[in-house]
Amino acid sequence: MIDSKQAADAMADIDDTVRRVRQSLIYQVSSLALLMWGVLAFVGNIAGWLWPRYGLYFWISIYTVSIVGFLAIGAYHRSRNRIRVFDIRYLLTFLLIVAFGIFVCYFGHFTPRQQTAFWPIYIMLFYMMAGVWFGYAFLVIGATIIALTLIGYFYIPGISLLLWMAVVNGGGLTLGGLWMRRS
Amino acid sequence: MAELDDIIHQPLRLKIMAALNALPAGVGLEFARLKKLTGATDGNLGAHIETLAKAGYVQVDKAFVGKKPQTTVTATAAGRGAFARHVATLQEIIAGKQG
Repeated sequence: MIDSKQAADAMADIDDTVRRVRQSLIYQVSSLALLMWGVLAFVGNIAGWLWPRYGLYFWISIYTVSIVGFLAIGAYHRSRNRIRVFDIRYLLTFLLIVAFGIFVCYFGHFTPRQQTAFWPIYIMLFYMMAGVWFGYAFLVIGATIIALTLIGYFYIPGISLLLWMAVVNGGGLTLGGLWMRRS
Repeated sequence: MAELDDIIHQPLRLKIMAALNALPAGVGLEFARLKKLTGATDGNLGAHIETLAKAGYVQVDKAFVGKKPQTTVTATAAGRGAFARHVATLQEIIAGKQG
């Protein structure tokens, strides 16, 4: 028979393993969402650079596609792991985040350039919050993209900022997604 | 007085069972992911999975995904029950009811 110290050590090992499994599941699902958003952000910024007048329509379409994508990722994950990851609450949360972003842009009278920088920084804020709760990868990805976005905002002139954002936002999310898959 | 399960009590086997038990019933983990989660080596992990399989605590399924062989390990109902009893015994020891 073991003593209480050894039993406590064994329980700590169990808790640590369970925490790792949960983080691994979160990373598995999140990596797919990041890869999807990496492609969408790349496409949205390039399309906005090519046809700047239609930028708003591109982004409305991209957010709509992302909702369908989240549902598809949820269905795929559920078929593999029998765990429901997205339900109506997640959709509502996503819509509230987007609605608050629109609210801020409207009342802040943001210019298109400011909006180009605002949206990634705003969304990455939530990634960083997720990092505090679910794993440092979210924190690293969020902080890196925010820093690169600010560098672009202050140093890349004119509409070229959209090309910069295609690379750092689209590329950053894609690399982040691949990194999470390997973690 | 409940007894600790000698098969589960070994540190790596305890981690394997904890990882598999954290998933819904019937859902398994691929060998490579289990290796990463437990920090074990290939040989060590394989040997301990075999011990757990012989006891009927885990089920091992081998399949090909494309051209790559893939081994999936899943906790059985007996394994889940044994793990739950083992954890309950550990908690009793910590609470000072045993030991």
